[in-house]
Amino acid sequence: MIQAIRRRTNIYGAMAGIVPKTFLAYSLWVWVSLFLNTITMTILVFFWKAVYADTGTIAGLDLQTTLTYILLAQIFLPLGDLSMIFEFGYSLREGGIAHALLRPVDFQGGFYVQYMTQTLTSLFLQIPMALVAWLVFGLRFPTDLQLWAVFILSAILGRTILFFFDWMLACLTFYTTEVWGLGVLVYGASLFFSGSLVPLAMLPGWLQTFALATPFAQALYVPLSLLTGITPLSQAPMVLLIQVILLITLGVLSRLFFRVAVRKVTVQGG
Amino acid sequence: MAIIETENLTKVYRTTRKDPGLRGSVKALFRPQIVDKLAVDRISFHVEPGEMVGYIGVNGAGKSTTIKMLTGILVPTSGQVRILGRDPHRQRVDNARQIGVVFGQRTQLWWDLALIESLNLIARIYEVDPARYKQLLDQFSETLELGELLRMPIRNMSLGQKMRAELAAALIHEPLVVYLDEPTIGLDLIVKERIREFIRQQNRDKGTTVILTTHDLGDIEELCQRVIIIDNGRLIYDGPITTIKARFGKYREITFETCQPVYQAIALPEGAHIVTNGYSPEDRKLVLRFDRTLTTASRVAHDVMDQVEVNDFSLTEPDLSSIVKQIYNGALLEETTS
Amino acid sequence: MARYLDLYGLFLVQRFKILMEYRVNFLIGASSTIILQVSSLLTIWVVMSQIPSLNGWSYYEVLLIYGLITLAKSINHMFADNLWTIGRQYIRTGSFDRFLVRPINPLFHLLADRFCHDGIGNFLVGSVLVITATRQLNIPWSLNNVLYLVLMVLSGGLIFIALNLITGTTAFWIMDAVPIMRVVFDFHLFAQYPLSIYPRAVGILLTWLIPYGLASFYPASYLTDRSLGWVAWGAPFVAIILLILAYQVWKFGLKYYAGTGS
Repeated sequence: MIQAIRRRTNIYGAMAGIVPKTFLAYSLWVWVSLFLNTITMTILVFFWKAVYADTGTIAGLDLQTTLTYILLAQIFLPLGDLSMIFEFGYSLREGGIAHALLRPVDFQGGFYVQYMTQTLTSLFLQIPMALVAWLVFGLRFPTDLQLWAVFILSAILGRTILFFFDWMLACLTFYTTEVWGLGVLVYGASLFFSGSLVPLAMLPGWLQTFALATPFAQALYVPLSLLTGITPLSQAPMVLLIQVILLITLGVLSRLFFRVAVRKVTVQGG
Repeated sequence: MAIIETENLTKVYRTTRKDPGLRGSVKALFRPQIVDKLAVDRISFHVEPGEMVGYIGVNGAGKSTTIKMLTGILVPTSGQVRILGRDPHRQRVDNARQIGVVFGQRTQLWWDLALIESLNLIARIYEVDPARYKQLLDQFSETLELGELLRMPIRNMSLGQKMRAELAAALIHEPLVVYLDEPTIGLDLIVKERIREFIRQQNRDKGTTVILTTHDLGDIEELCQRVIIIDNGRLIYDGPITTIKARFGKYREITFETCQPVYQAIALPEGAHIVTNGYSPEDRKLVLRFDRTLTTASRVAHDVMDQVEVNDFSLTEPDLSSIVKQIYNGALLEETTS
Repeated sequence: MARYLDLYGLFLVQRFKILMEYRVNFLIGASSTIILQVSSLLTIWVVMSQIPSLNGWSYYEVLLIYGLITLAKSINHMFADNLWTIGRQYIRTGSFDRFLVRPINPLFHLLADRFCHDGIGNFLVGSVLVITATRQLNIPWSLNNVLYLVLMVLSGGLIFIALNLITGTTAFWIMDAVPIMRVVFDFHLFAQYPLSIYPRAVGILLTWLIPYGLASFYPASYLTDRSLGWVAWGAPFVAIILLILAYQVWKFGLKYYAGTGS
């Protein structure tokens, strides 16, 4: 039993280990994207400063809270990243799915570990961004450990919700070859609804309700709004409960989706 | 006047070596390690109009570098190249009108376009007279059997179909010089023959000069009277195929199948030596090579059969490919130095 | 010149034949850029509906700026998108050589080789924004204004192309120039908003060094009667100078390629 667990951990460990290595192979890109993100940050900061020039609060948020939120959103952007669709679409074309299905681990489990490791690696690579935000734009990180604890919990839940959602979308690639178009569509939606550009609290009522229900918001905005105090800590249990419900629902759905999709591949030979 | 002239044509690639990783990149930025590689070394030859010349050498011998300099893509490090009296790089556009190029594996055509559309576009790029274009299209369709291919996008074509399409595209502006890089690689015999016939016909009817680089010595034997061999960037042979055949053709090979493996030494007449010996009960082949000017086949066979029991034997005349193999192995250098 | 225009027309017709063959791809590609713009536009809408003005610029004035830079970008996107792929698609595969054995200008051949339909989406977004904004702002569509707009958008497009040509030429040395191209290209994001919201240094940078601002902020200022003097007319001149410079850089790159032929 213990041996089986150890063996499994080793396999997952090895799979996880691949991710940072492939990532760092593109070192030039790492630096360039740091630079590009700094540009985006600069624009956002000055944009919001100009927005607040004539007004004290918007939707109850003052400039300081909004700036803190926006900068943190840029730093934690990888929480809202989607990658599964492209990876699936790609391996489907290269015939890699069949390979992956043959590995002696749960297929979704393997992907989940890679997904989370990739997220961690990406977050790790955001450290220079955090430094820029801190040194150049005067970001003040929240110091309340309780906030951070809730944030981390919510972020893990949110990221997992997004994983299941991403997984379901990826299953669509078994049916269509227009992976790229689908990817762009979802990416466009995620940009806005994740709350990476604007705190979702500023959205008009109906749009806000819709936005908060998206997995994008669950992955980025919801945890960050807890961290920055946009959502008061007293509401945290409720928020987390909703996340757990979403997680279970999407988790079950994603397994179902996959089973149907795989049948299609195995019947038609991919 | 020669249509292609090269004079001490030389190309040195200057590359910087880079250690892997970011540190390597940074180091390479400040203190690059420069490595010079001599790709083509003082090559001189002339080609007359209407000649078909085979340009051969192993991979990395400098074939494609030479072709790139002849077509004006690359500038020589030193030496001269003149095509129709022009510098193909400096007068790139004028030169381009007179040449046609087929780069073996890479397509010149638009991947998603039907062949006829690609050809129309190319005809316009080269400003082919519309009436003449129509005429040529009919001609090519017949000899290359383009027929239904004309309506087919390149991406759907088989290798052989693609090559026929490439040839049509490279010759539709009736160039005076054509460079063909591996035009028959990977093709079956029938397609090969059709392509060779097409090239032969273009040469015969229009006096097109053809430079052919290939690994397929069959192409060369079928098409060229003259062959240029390069090795390590240097020209090691330039002359008629017949000469080189005669020169190396003085060697003959005899293959014996012996009853028992031959482990003992065999006394041979002067000018003969063993090339391969199986040394096992499964492989009882014994291959001998002898110099026809020093001894005879019957002499060699007689001597061998005197010493070992022979099941069967055969005599082979070397073809160009085995000759070339010998040359690459240094036979030509040995001969010229001795 | 006439010959090149003629040829470009032919290339374009052929390109559309291909695109029509992949109709779904065409539609997705063309609309993808629209989708990507929607998130930024939604943000502007959400924010601007809660404040009277952004640094003295009204909602529609901001949209005008945004629309102008999007139009200029779309010109680059439609007609010069191939510059992004010199390294990966042409040099690495060796197919760049085919441009060099044909009797036409290789740069022309490269650009004509692929009209990028994705840019159409940007063009539509930009057009809708500029048309809506000018209407809402009561900017008359006089001949003068229309000509001015066309001139500025074209100049803006040329500025984009020239800068991409300069950075894209590095592909001859480093094969994949996309990271370097992105670094310069992304500065256009600044020009989506009034330059006056940024520190002076950013304004100067976007006006003189990476002059995307000349294609959006200054023309919008001119059209909304904020007098800025001759800078409002700077775009065409700067575009021409940049193009000449870029072409010299390109020729230098070609020369290097002829030396190495990597």
